[in-house]
Parts: sequence; structure tokens; C-alpha cells
Amino acid sequence: MNSDDQLIWEFQQGAREAFVELFERYREPIYGFFRRRLDHPARAEELAQECFLALLQNVQRYEPRASFRSYLYGIAIHLVAAERRKAGREVVENEKLDSRAAQGNGAENRDAGIWVRKALGQLEQSEREILMLREYEQLSYGEIAAALRMPVNTVRSRLFRARAALKNQLLPVKD
Amino acid sequence: MERHAQHAFDAEEVMAYLDGELEARRAAELAAHLVSCSQCQEVAQGFRALSERMLSFEVEHPSAEMNGAVLAALDSAQSSRAPGVNTAADRKGGKWRKFVFNPRVWAMAGASIVVALVVIGILGRSGLPVPGNLLALREESGGYKPWLSKAGPAAPRGGPEIYQTSTGGRDAVIGGAVPEPPPPAPGDELKAPENVGPMIVQTASLTILATNYDEASTAIEKLAAVHGGYVEKLDAKAQTGNARELTASLRIPTRQLDGFLADVRKLGHVEEETRSNEEVSDQYVDLQARLKSARATEQRLIELLGTRTGKLQDVLEAERELARIRGEIESMQGQSALLVHRVNYAAVQLDLNEEYRQVLGSGAISTGTKIRNAAVEGFTNLEEGAVALLVFVFAVGPSLLFWLVILLVPGWFVWKRYRVRARG
Repeated sequence: MNSDDQLIWEFQQGAREAFVELFERYREPIYGFFRRRLDHPARAEELAQECFLALLQNVQRYEPRASFRSYLYGIAIHLVAAERRKAGREVVENEKLDSRAAQGNGAENRDAGIWVRKALGQLEQSEREILMLREYEQLSYGEIAAALRMPVNTVRSRLFRARAALKNQLLPVKD
Repeated sequence: MERHAQHAFDAEEVMAYLDGELEARRAAELAAHLVSCSQCQEVAQGFRALSERMLSFEVEHPSAEMNGAVLAALDSAQSSRAPGVNTAADRKGGKWRKFVFNPRVWAMAGASIVVALVVIGILGRSGLPVPGNLLALREESGGYKPWLSKAGPAAPRGGPEIYQTSTGGRDAVIGGAVPEPPPPAPGDELKAPENVGPMIVQTASLTILATNYDEASTAIEKLAAVHGGYVEKLDAKAQTGNARELTASLRIPTRQLDGFLADVRKLGHVEEETRSNEEVSDQYVDLQARLKSARATEQRLIELLGTRTGKLQDVLEAERELARIRGEIESMQGQSALLVHRVNYAAVQLDLNEEYRQVLGSGAISTGTKIRNAAVEGFTNLEEGAVALLVFVFAVGPSLLFWLVILLVPGWFVWKRYRVRARG
């Protein structure tokens, strides 16, 4: 299996299949990234598309400084930030719509998911972002550091704090 | 996940180990340690359980439409590419040079400027909005909130390319540094919706290398108190053989934040400092509106119940609805109070690290323990060596004996005959 960097290099040389393979590889993860942060499926899908379009348009300028994953999630992080900044009110409305839809389905796992989402919402923003990138996007500490432009040690200590806080909220406390 | 006092590994290292992020030698030590330490096993189990629990936050699969849009864009990007091995930058450079040195381009540019000046002049006289006025109108209509730029975070500069795209009439900034919002035009008043001022939740994070750790650590609580704030959480680590660390979560009145941070900076060398502002006016206004509407509903339900004429089932239904609405109101009041508290008190995360100096004889393990460990290791080696020898003898012995008999007996006869001949 080709590495991400190998594929992006091949695509820079004009190989269409290389991009298709990258897209297939990251289609669901990138959609999941936006879906967990934005709550509105259609908007999450649009932003996932925009993320790949941005990659497509900037591919000739891509340089393998850090891993490709941190570059791709870096784009996604900027997109989410822009979305939250520019359409703050709209996002709040969407969240209301979605939470209602979620309550309607009433599946057991979805309920458990709502608790996790609520608990994540209590975390400080940068800690939440680091924790989500680690747990859901499975990024390494180095990749998170590159995507968020912060030292690896800071990533580690904030991740620890975030997990400690979340554990207090989600898991039963032992006497 | 509390700190392990006098423990060889702290919970953070256990976490890094489970994430596969611990340095190889330390990871091997921790792996061996985990086998026997129930405390660390419990910590590891806690992290695993948390990760498992987090996986319950599932999302559905994306629709197939997403593929179509991206692949179509890929095809159009591919077809617009010129054949050959030149990179985009090279081609761009060539085109740019031709463009700059083309006299027709210059003529067209001059003509466009003249036309634009004439049009702006005519529009200006007729009182129609010129482009500058259009921008002002856009700002007034809420395209962005001017008061945000006063207290808003400074956007990071530099980094990869800034790329702007327009999808569905909405601008998005992609793949680069976030641009600063345009500054407010002079004379713009800082207006806030419905008499609520701009509500900004401020957070600050500082990492300080303290030259005098003891003084600095005691000063933190005092400084927080002096500035009217309080300590939410204080976590100190003082492992033998390592620099001491103190992590504090503080809440400081927003107005005092600058003064507090200035005082804290004096405690040592600031290694890292980040500040962020989150604008929550929209959330607050939205919450208040929902609260108002919920109260109105509550009032209507009370009136309805006061003049009850319907069936018992309807009355019960109305009472259930009333209880639900009251629950919602309480929850929203709580959220509202929390929001106000977050706005009034900035969250400060402080990491204080000691400038570590190695002390003679401060090793984590004492000399006596080292000798004892060496003796135990020596005895274990001896035992293992003896066992290994026995295993070798039993494993190889029989076949060795067999081949010796096979080879030595004829050899001995040959040698004996040779001796006899030599004597004869």
C-alpha cells in the first residue's frame, strides 16, 4: 500500500488515481471530523468537499514538511474555525435542529453519544480539539502539534488534562 | 488519574505509553512495571475505558453525492493542466512574464482605470453607493461585528498559503493562516444586540520557566487573590531526579486579567503564552430569547390549568408539559449564569516549570538498593545460566554421544592399526 506522501507526490506528477485513492482513504475520516464538530450532516458534507477541493487546488504548493495527515487536518481545522466565526448564529440554530433529530431516533448508542458530546462541550476548546484529534482522527502527538502549531509537550499535557476532565464526567468515580 | 506520589511512572506517562508515544526505553520499563503494579494497571484501565466510551459518539457515513462533486472538480482540474513536466509554479512564472511585458495588457489596464474613475464619479454625484459605501453597508448589516475586532484574538500570521473560495455565496478561508478581520471604520459605534454588551469569554495560557520555583509557586495563589480571582485547580509534581512542575487553573476577573498576567510574567521566563477570546453574545442572546419564550409558555400553561374545563387526560398532559418547561427554564437559567460567570472571570491556565539543576546523589534509587538489585540480578543470572546449561546437555547430549560412538570407535581401530604398522 502506498504511503500518503507517495500518493500526493504521484498526484503532483499528474496521476489522477493517486488523488482518487487519497480521497477514498480520507473521505469518511474527514466527513466524520466535520460531522462531530458541526452537528449538521449536510453542512459537514459541504465542508468535507471544500476541504478536498482546497487540497486539490493547492496540491502543487504542498511540501512534505510534516505528515500529509496533519496538513489535511490543518485545512479542516481552518475550515471549521472559519465556519464558526462567520456563521456563529447559524451553527447554533443547526445544533438545535440536530439535537431534536437525535432525540427522535432514540437509539441507545446515540444516547451514549450525546453524553460524550455534552461532556466534550464542557472542555476548554484547545483541549477538546486535541482530544478529538487523538481519539477520533487517531493523529499522533507530533501530527496534532503540527496541525495546531504548538509544541508536542503542550499537546501531551493538554491531552492528559482533557482526558482527566472527561473521565471525571463520563466514568463512575471509584471510592 | 491523580498523581502518583513517590511512583516510578506518573499517569501522564501511562497515557503516553498507551498512545504509543513513550520513548522506547521508557516504554519497555513501563511495560515491565505494569505487569506488577496494580495502581498503574488501574490508571491504564481508566484510559482504555474512556477511549471505549468516547467511541459511542458515532457519526453516519457520508452520502455518495460527495464523491461526485470532488471527482468532478478533480477532472476539471486535470483537464485545465497543461501537458508536460513543468510544475504549476513554473508555468505560472512564464505566463506572468508574458502578461507583464504585453503592451496590450497595459493599454487595457489604462482604459479600465479611466472607465472606473468615470463611473465612480457619476455614481458619487448621483448619490448611489460607490464600492466603499457598499463595504460600509455590508459591515452594518452584520457581515462581521466591528466590536469583535477590538477584543478579538490577533490572527496568526505566516504559514501556508491563504486560499479563498466561494461556495454557495459564502466565503471560506482555507489551508492557511486566518486573516484578520478588517478594522472598524472610524466613528463606528460599538453596538450590541438588545442592550447586551459584547460578551467575550477570555482564556489565557502561560508556560513559565521559574528561576525561583518555591517563591513563584507560593506567589501564584497570592496574585490570584490580590486580583480578585481564585484557584480552580492546582496540581504540583515533584518527582525525584526531575524538575518540579506546577499546573494551575485559575479564574481571574476579566478586567484584572491584563494586570494579573503582567504580574505572573515577572515570575520567570515566559516560554509560551497564548490568549484567546470567544465571542458568546449570540449564545447569550439566543439563550435569553429561548428563556423568555419558555416563560411565556409556562405562563400560558398555568393560565390554562387555572381554567381547566377539558378532559382529565388533557389536564395531565398540560401538567406534564408544564413540568418539562420548568425543567428547561431551570436548565437555561443555569446555562445563562454559567455564561455570565465565564465572561466575568477569564480562565487562566498556568504551567510553571522549575529551572532544573542536577543535584549530586539525587538519583531516584539509593546505592543500597542498587547493590541489592545487582545481587538479585547476579543470582538470577547464575540460576538462568545453570538451567540453560542443563537444557543444552539434555537437548544436545544424546545425539552428541551417538555421533561420538559412531565416529570414535572406527577411528580408534584405524589409529590402532596405523600404530601397529608403524612399529612393524
